[in-house]
Amino acid sequence: MTATAQTIATPAVTERRQSGRWLTALLLAPSAVWFFVLLILPLAVVLVYSVGVRAPAGGYQAAFTLDNYLNLPARWAAFKNTLTLAPLGTLICLLAGYPLAYFLAVKSSARWRVMLLILVIVPFWTSFLIRTYAWIFILGGRGIPALLDAMGMGDVRLINTPFSVMCGIVYAYLPLMVFPIYVSLEKLDKRLLEASEDLGAGPFATFRQITLPLSAPGIITGCMLVFILLMGEYLIPQMLGGGKVFFIGNALVDLFLQSLNWPYGSAVAMALVIIMLVTVSLYLRATAATGGRRDASLI
Amino acid sequence: MLRAYSALVYLFLYGPIALIVLFSFNSGLSAADFQGFSLRWYARVAGNSLMLDALRTSLTVAFSSAALATIMGTMAALALQRVKGPVRVIFDGLTYIAIMVPGIVIGIATLIALVTTFDAANAVLAEIWPTDTPPQLHMGYGSIIAAHTLFSMALVVVIVRARIAGMDRSLIEASMDLYADPWATFRQVTLPQLAPAILAGFLLCFTFSFDDFVIAFFVAGPLNTLPIYVFSSIRRGVTPEINAIGTAIMMFSLVMLFGAQLLLRRKSVQGKT
Amino acid sequence: MDRKEFIEQLRRYHKGSISRRHFLGVTGLGTATAVLAASVPHLMTGRRAYAAGELGDQVNLTTWPDYHEPKNFEKFTAETGVKVNITVFGSNEEMFAKLKAGGTGWDVLVPTNYTIETYVSEDMFEPLDAAMLPNYAPQSYTDPRFTEPGTVGGKLYAVHKDWGTTGYVINSAKVTDKPTSWKEFWDLTNSKYQGRTMVHDYQLTTIGNALKYFGYSFNSNDEKELADAEKLLLDSKPNLFAINSDYKPSLINGDAYMSVCWTGDGKQLQKTDPAFQYILGKEGGEIWADFYAVPKGAPHRAAAYALIDFLLEPKVNADEVLFHGYPVADKRVIDLLPKEIIEDPILYPAAELLAPLEFGAAATLTNPARAEIMARFKSA
Repeated sequence: MTATAQTIATPAVTERRQSGRWLTALLLAPSAVWFFVLLILPLAVVLVYSVGVRAPAGGYQAAFTLDNYLNLPARWAAFKNTLTLAPLGTLICLLAGYPLAYFLAVKSSARWRVMLLILVIVPFWTSFLIRTYAWIFILGGRGIPALLDAMGMGDVRLINTPFSVMCGIVYAYLPLMVFPIYVSLEKLDKRLLEASEDLGAGPFATFRQITLPLSAPGIITGCMLVFILLMGEYLIPQMLGGGKVFFIGNALVDLFLQSLNWPYGSAVAMALVIIMLVTVSLYLRATAATGGRRDASLI
Repeated sequence: MLRAYSALVYLFLYGPIALIVLFSFNSGLSAADFQGFSLRWYARVAGNSLMLDALRTSLTVAFSSAALATIMGTMAALALQRVKGPVRVIFDGLTYIAIMVPGIVIGIATLIALVTTFDAANAVLAEIWPTDTPPQLHMGYGSIIAAHTLFSMALVVVIVRARIAGMDRSLIEASMDLYADPWATFRQVTLPQLAPAILAGFLLCFTFSFDDFVIAFFVAGPLNTLPIYVFSSIRRGVTPEINAIGTAIMMFSLVMLFGAQLLLRRKSVQGKT
Repeated sequence: MDRKEFIEQLRRYHKGSISRRHFLGVTGLGTATAVLAASVPHLMTGRRAYAAGELGDQVNLTTWPDYHEPKNFEKFTAETGVKVNITVFGSNEEMFAKLKAGGTGWDVLVPTNYTIETYVSEDMFEPLDAAMLPNYAPQSYTDPRFTEPGTVGGKLYAVHKDWGTTGYVINSAKVTDKPTSWKEFWDLTNSKYQGRTMVHDYQLTTIGNALKYFGYSFNSNDEKELADAEKLLLDSKPNLFAINSDYKPSLINGDAYMSVCWTGDGKQLQKTDPAFQYILGKEGGEIWADFYAVPKGAPHRAAAYALIDFLLEPKVNADEVLFHGYPVADKRVIDLLPKEIIEDPILYPAAELLAPLEFGAAATLTNPARAEIMARFKSA
C-alpha cells in the first residue's frame, strides 16, 4: 500500500484495508497458536522446572532455587564433549565436503553434474537410524578391525570410542555441508577464475582470493546447519559411543529418564538452548561482515 | 586428484548403504558373514505385524504433520510479507528458535508441558462428564503430530518466504491492474509461483517426521513409530531383518524423492508452456 | 446373513482384513459364542469369557526386550480380537520416569519387585481386582518372597510373572580364567580383558555389583560404601567396552567377552553358543521378581485384565518360559515344563548360590545419591 493510496483513502479503500488486516490476522492465527502451545509454553515450563527441586521419589517439586544452575559444572564432561566434538565434527565435514562441492560445481562435466549432486543428497533422505546402524557393524569386531587384524595390524578397537562417534557424525551430516557450498560455488562466475589466472595468479592465490570468499555464504550456511544439529545430538553417541561418549543430549535423556532429576535436567536444557542462541547469534554477527547474508544463513 | 578424492567420498557415502542392502539378502542369521542369497528376511518383514503397525503410524504422522505444517507455514509466510514492526520481529524470532532448539529439548519440553495440560484437562473432564467413564487425554497421534508440526512449520515459513522474496512482483501488480480480485490473483498468479517451494517444504517435512526418533521417543505415549521400532530392534540384536527393514525404508524414500522430482519437473514444464 | 455372505466374511477373516471381533459381531456368532462361553466358562478356554466388544480392540503392554513369546500374543488376539501393542524399555528407572511424566496410555506394565512400593506410594498403580484374574492362584507359588512385593499395605497391586538372578556371562572361549566372584569380574575387567566388559545402563545392578566387589550389601545406601563403589566404577570406565543393558548383540558379535547379565539372557546366549557361561558371583548379587501391574487411568482396563489373565494361564506361561528362559514360581507352570528346564543350573541355581543373593530395595530407586553416582559414572 503506497503513501498516496493512504492519503486519498476512500471509505472503500479503508474497508479493504480493514479486511486486509483481518485476513493477515487470520493467516497468522494458526501458526501463532502453534508457536504458543508447542514452543513458548513448553520452554516456559522448562524454565519453571529449572528453578524447582527434585521430588523425593524423583520428578519435580515446586520451589525457587538457583542450585540447579550453580550445579551445572557437575555435567562439565558432557558440555566439554559437546563443545569440542560439535565444532570438530563441523570442521571435518567442511574439510571433507568442500573439495567435493568444488568438484561438483566447477570441475565436473555438465552432463553428470545433476546426477552426481543427487547422489550426494540421496543418503540424507534415507533413514538416519539405519545409516548409523550400518556403522555398528562396520566398526564392530567383525568389520574393519577384523580386516586390520587379518592384515597383521593387531588388536584394533574402533566401536564405542570418540572415533566411531565422529565417523557417524561425518557420515550423517556430510551431505548437509556439501549442498549449500555447492549452491554458492555454482553461482560463481567462472570467468573470474580465468581472469585471475590470466593475471598470473597461481591456483592457490586464485582459490584464496576468489573462490573461497565467494563461497563464504555456502560455508556459513553449511557449518551452521551441521553445528546446530550436532549440538543437540543424542542418537549417534548413543548408538556408536556405547554409553561412554556423552553429549549434552545424552546427559539430558539420562537426567529425565534415569536419574529422574527433572529440575536439574531442565537447567541443563536451558543452558543448552542459551549456549546455542548465543553461539549462533555471535556466529551470524561475525560472518555478516564477511559477506554472509543473514537470511541465507538460516537455510 | 580432485576426481579421485570425490570418488572416495562417494564410496564413503554408499559403502555402508551397500552393506546394509547386501546383508538384507543374507540367508544366514548373522549380520556379519554372508552365507548365501535369500529373500527370507523380506518375507519375515512382510509378516511382521508390529513393524507394519509402526510403519502405518509413521506414515499417518508424517503425512498429517507435513500437511498441517505446509498449510499453516504457507499461510504465515504469505501474511508476514504484509506485516512489519513488532509482530514480524516476534514471528521471525519464534521461527528462528523453533528451528534452532534441539529436538531433544523440544521432545522433553513438549512432554512435560502436554502432560501438565492433560492432567488439568482430565480433572476437569472427570468433573463435568455425565457418565462414569470420561474420555482421557493422553499422548498419542495428537502429540506426535503437533510436536512434529512445530519444527516443520518453521521450516516451511523459511522456505516459502525465501521464494516470495525471489518472486516476480510485476505479475501480481499486473494482475491487480487488470482488476482481478485478490483471491483470483492469489490462485492464478501467486500460488503457481510458490508451488515448487510449497511442495519442497511438504517433502522436507514429511521426511523429517518420517525419520524423527528423538521427539517421538518422548511424546509417542503407547505408539511405536517406525524409527522407535527400528531403534528397539537394534538394541535387541543385529539381524538381517533390520537390514531388510532398512533397505525397504530406503527404497521407499527413494521412490518418494524421485516421484516428487518428476512431479516438480512436470509442473515446471507446464508452467513454462 | 445368507450363506454366501457368511463365507465371504469368513474368507476375509482368514485373510486378516477384518478382526475376529468384527467377524464374530457381523456374523452374529459373537453373541452365540458369548452366551455359550458364559454358561460354561471353563469348558472351552479355561479362562474368563468376554462378551463381544467388552474388551475394546487393543491393549498397550510395556515390557522388556525379548520377554514374551510372540505366538502367545497372536493367540490372544485371535481369541479376543484385542491387538497387543508392545513397547520395550531398558530399565525400571526409565519405565518409572515415563509413567511418572504421565500421559503414556499404557495398560499393562512389567515392573520389578523393588519398584512396586514406589509406584504405589506415588499413586501410579491401581489395586488389582483378583476376581477378574481367575488364573491368578496365590497358593500355587513356591516361595512367598516372589509374590509378596506385589502386595502393598494389604492390597494387591501386582501379580508375579517370573523371577531371575543378575549374575554375569563370560565367553569361555576368550575368558579362560574360570571366575566365580564379582571381585574377579572387576579385576579381570581392569587387567586382562580391558575394553571387553559391559555393565548395565541403570543404577541398581551396576552400583550394586560394584558394591559387591568390596563385600558390601548390594542395596547399600551408605555414603562411604557408595563412594568406594563410585571410585571403582570411575576407575573401570576406561576399561569397559560399553555401558549398555542390551549386551547380547555385542557378546554374540565377539566385541565383548563379559557382561553383567540376567538369567534369561544367559540362557538365550548359551543356546546360541555353548561357550557362553552364566556365573553367579559367590559374594551375592541380585535376585529379583517381575510382576504384571495396571497403571492408574489405563485406557483399556478390561483388556489389561484379560491380557494378564491370559498370560498367567499355566499352558501359556509355560510357553513364555520356553521362549524367554526365566524361571517361574508357579507350581502349575513348573509341572508343565520339560525336565531339562527345571534342572537347568542357569534357571534354577543351587541353593548355596541363591542364599547370598538380595532382592533390590525400594530405597535404591529413589535415592538421589545413587542416581547421581550413575550419572557421573556415565558422563565422566
